[in-house]
Amino acid sequence: MDFAHYMPLWGEGLLTLMAVLIVLLGSLMKDSGKLMGYLSLGGIVAALALVASNLTAKPALFFFDTISVDAFSQFFKAVFLIVSMLVVIASLSKYTGKGADEYYALLLLATVGMMVVSSSIDIVTLFVGFELASLSTYAMAAFDKTKKNLEAAMKYFIFGSVASALMLFGFSLFYGMTGSTRLADIAAASLADFGPATVVALLFVIVGFAFKMALVPFHMWAPDTYEGAPTLVSALLAAGSKKMGFAAAFRVLLVALVALRLDWYIAFAVLAAVTMTLGNLAACWQDNVRRILAYSSVAQAGYISIGLVVVGAAYGSSPVNVFNMGMWPADQLGIAGALLLILGHALMKTGAFIGSAQVAGMVSGSGQNDPDDISNYAGLAKRAPITAFCMLIFMFALAGIPPTAGYIGKFVLFSSAIYSGLAWLAIIAILNSALSLVYYLRIISYMYLKDPAGPKMPERRGYVAALAITTLAVVWIGVFPDGFIEWAGQAAAVLLP
Amino acid sequence: MISNAISLMIAVPLLGAVVSFFAGTKAKFVALIASLIPLVLSLQMYMEFDKTSKIMQFVESYDWVPSLGVKYTVGVDGIGFPLVLLSTIVSILVIIYSWGETNRPNQYFGLLLLNEVGVLGVFSSLDFFLFYIFWEVVLIPMYFLIGSWGGPRKDYAAIKFFIYTHVASLVMLLSIFAMYFTYETPEGGRTFDMLTLLAATADKTIFPTGLLNIIFAGLLFGFLVKMPAFPFHTWLPDAHVEAPTAGSVVLAALLLKMGGYGLFRIIMPILPSVDKVFVPILAIIAVLSIVYGAFLALAQKDIKKLVAYSSVSHMGFVTLGAVAFTWMSVTGAMFQQFSHGIITCVLFMSAGTIQHVAGTRIIAELGGLADRMPKFAVLMMAGFMASLGLPGMSGFVGEFMILTGSYATLPAYTMIVVLLSVATTAAYHLWAMQKTMFGPILKKYVNVHDPHAYELFSMAMIIVLSLIFGLQPGLITDMMGTAATQVMEPVMTLSQMGVI
Repeated sequence: MDFAHYMPLWGEGLLTLMAVLIVLLGSLMKDSGKLMGYLSLGGIVAALALVASNLTAKPALFFFDTISVDAFSQFFKAVFLIVSMLVVIASLSKYTGKGADEYYALLLLATVGMMVVSSSIDIVTLFVGFELASLSTYAMAAFDKTKKNLEAAMKYFIFGSVASALMLFGFSLFYGMTGSTRLADIAAASLADFGPATVVALLFVIVGFAFKMALVPFHMWAPDTYEGAPTLVSALLAAGSKKMGFAAAFRVLLVALVALRLDWYIAFAVLAAVTMTLGNLAACWQDNVRRILAYSSVAQAGYISIGLVVVGAAYGSSPVNVFNMGMWPADQLGIAGALLLILGHALMKTGAFIGSAQVAGMVSGSGQNDPDDISNYAGLAKRAPITAFCMLIFMFALAGIPPTAGYIGKFVLFSSAIYSGLAWLAIIAILNSALSLVYYLRIISYMYLKDPAGPKMPERRGYVAALAITTLAVVWIGVFPDGFIEWAGQAAAVLLP
Repeated sequence: MISNAISLMIAVPLLGAVVSFFAGTKAKFVALIASLIPLVLSLQMYMEFDKTSKIMQFVESYDWVPSLGVKYTVGVDGIGFPLVLLSTIVSILVIIYSWGETNRPNQYFGLLLLNEVGVLGVFSSLDFFLFYIFWEVVLIPMYFLIGSWGGPRKDYAAIKFFIYTHVASLVMLLSIFAMYFTYETPEGGRTFDMLTLLAATADKTIFPTGLLNIIFAGLLFGFLVKMPAFPFHTWLPDAHVEAPTAGSVVLAALLLKMGGYGLFRIIMPILPSVDKVFVPILAIIAVLSIVYGAFLALAQKDIKKLVAYSSVSHMGFVTLGAVAFTWMSVTGAMFQQFSHGIITCVLFMSAGTIQHVAGTRIIAELGGLADRMPKFAVLMMAGFMASLGLPGMSGFVGEFMILTGSYATLPAYTMIVVLLSVATTAAYHLWAMQKTMFGPILKKYVNVHDPHAYELFSMAMIIVLSLIFGLQPGLITDMMGTAATQVMEPVMTLSQMGVI
């Protein structure tokens, strides 16, 4: 076997081997949690380095044309690996005792699953990757074994399974119609000939994806799960596995089902507008910080869906002069904007959840009923200044205040909506950004304006390291966005003819 | 000639703010130095400033985000430079006034410096993207100043201030984007360059009147809220009443000027190209702000609220002068911005000092303070006289020029202002002064005394400045006049625009 030929996939292989190794070592050694953490960190960094060395790869196909390594997959792999890396860095301060080996092994496998999804150009491979990531995260959601964890994991499991089932059913119908599981073959077949069956299949696929991406009205599981799961796992769910839903949706809808775009793009336009509005409104009434973050995540999913709508509206349109970048097709700009927001949101959300984990970890000993209640954030600026400052940056970035990653993502994405004649959607999105400031400011005002709820607290080192890296990245992307826009544009071009 | 003077002027307080956050109780010295350097730089720039030149001076331009057409471009002309000067003067005086702050001084002075960074950036940016960033940067330190050091209802006031003005900024941003996406550069790209976009709005083939009206309305909304003009002034009293003294001073002296600056820099170049109905609308808003603001001030029980409403009234003059579109009124309006920026400092400092020594700002509960604090009373009296427009002080010059200038084109509106506001303005100033300072000393105040020397020094400096510019307005009106000519070049009078 020619190993060098598979070099672009070494990362997945390495992480899988690492996961097996960690489980083996864990059963042989006692109290090796810290070591396992560092092992996984090493594996993830190596995989990330591999991806980084080959960011804008020419498409290369593997395994009988089911796996494609291209700029699009590399973009998502970078996002997933960065999120996993941050979660592992933070976890080094929490999961060190008994059973930690399983945690790290599951985390690595979940990452591998996400990476496979981002590379899949075949619906069966895609589904397998999807399930690998999902099953691993179901177990992680219950990892601390508290009552809340179990409830969250159960909800996540049931909704996730239903979503998978719906998606699989839709896939099977498409397979029946076209006789192939390859996305390119499905795209080549004339699906419209099958009449109502196409619409039914499309509906199943859309609902399945909408569950995974937590679009309204299929979002109910997200706040409960993000609130109940261990906080670091919530970070992985909101920033990693949810983005996997987008990777899958982009591949399937934009490559295989693009001929049906007139059927799905209106649906996504409505879903996007409703999702961002309801997500932001719901977030205003929450008192639990993790629920606020969860609903903000729902709203962000609404923004990101604009990318799909733009492609539907402007697919194959002739290039226009965008910004100062020369001629770009509007649909490519739409996906590029969505990818930028995915990157930015993955960073901001991971950071925000790690920040809330820091707070919950610090106050949980003090007999509070709900460690995530917003009252625990009172005077955080004095109790835990570094955490509070990083959270401040994340809140402003999530609200889209320049110059941050959140701002650049929204700017490119909303601009693409304008270029493709969807100014109404852009205006709804911008007004929503203003609305979102209400609840982000609420967290800020608790952290900085209220009197401290207790004495100064020690900040865990692993968490601080993860927060600092994330903050730097969020600001860096905002101040020097040029390279990132170009990168996202190349990734977007992969999906379009 | 200093190269990169403007960048340096923005960078020094920014650096100072960072240092000050870590400087503990030494922060005030850091703040003093970090605000002194911009002051010296701006005075040096004043010496070198070519008052007859119509082009931007001290321009610096670097690529920032080439793919989006964003540049770091700064420069000043007769519109921007007086406000830059005002910002550096007010910032250092506020820092001196706050010398005795003991509640988390490192953050307090750091935020004041950040505020200076923001306003200097707004007054010198020549790129809309950069402009918007500085515009938003200003909100953040002010939000914390109100929210952390404010009065009893500080949380409500801070949030209201932030959301209200942020929504206005977003509406302004939408208009900026509309311009950005409509105008294509000759090379086929996009640009955020302010002067290019503003010049392009005159071209009907690029910006049809219908579109331009919407863009104009969005921009106008952003600036009117910031000024604030009737009926968008409701955030101001809450913010002022709850803000700490330094916050109020910066808010009234500098942040409100951002709205006025927007009128001159952005609104006036577009005004000749939009629907003529905007002229009477703006004139009505101006008159209502002046008159309604004055009557509201007359009805206040709290002296700080009175001063806050007087700002609404005085900023109304700026709008009136701008919309009247004569050389005299426009120059006067620019001068009014500068002059109000100076004078309002002493008013808010007075209110702050009274609160500090007497424990209340309710006018009815005060009386005879002059007996125990004579130096303070003199300075406060001078400030109030300057504010009500006593000849010889700067307040008179601005209002006189505006009223004289606007009588030529908007006589009816001007007469309403003269009839209804001049006496009212004098009345509330004199009434407040008399009730709080003069008359027999109330028993509970027998132990009060003059405030610290640093507070008196700041107030005295402002009175001196008000006298200097009142007696010798040419020091600053020369460059304003050049800028006014420049702004009005396309259309010299309202009659040419077909309004009257």
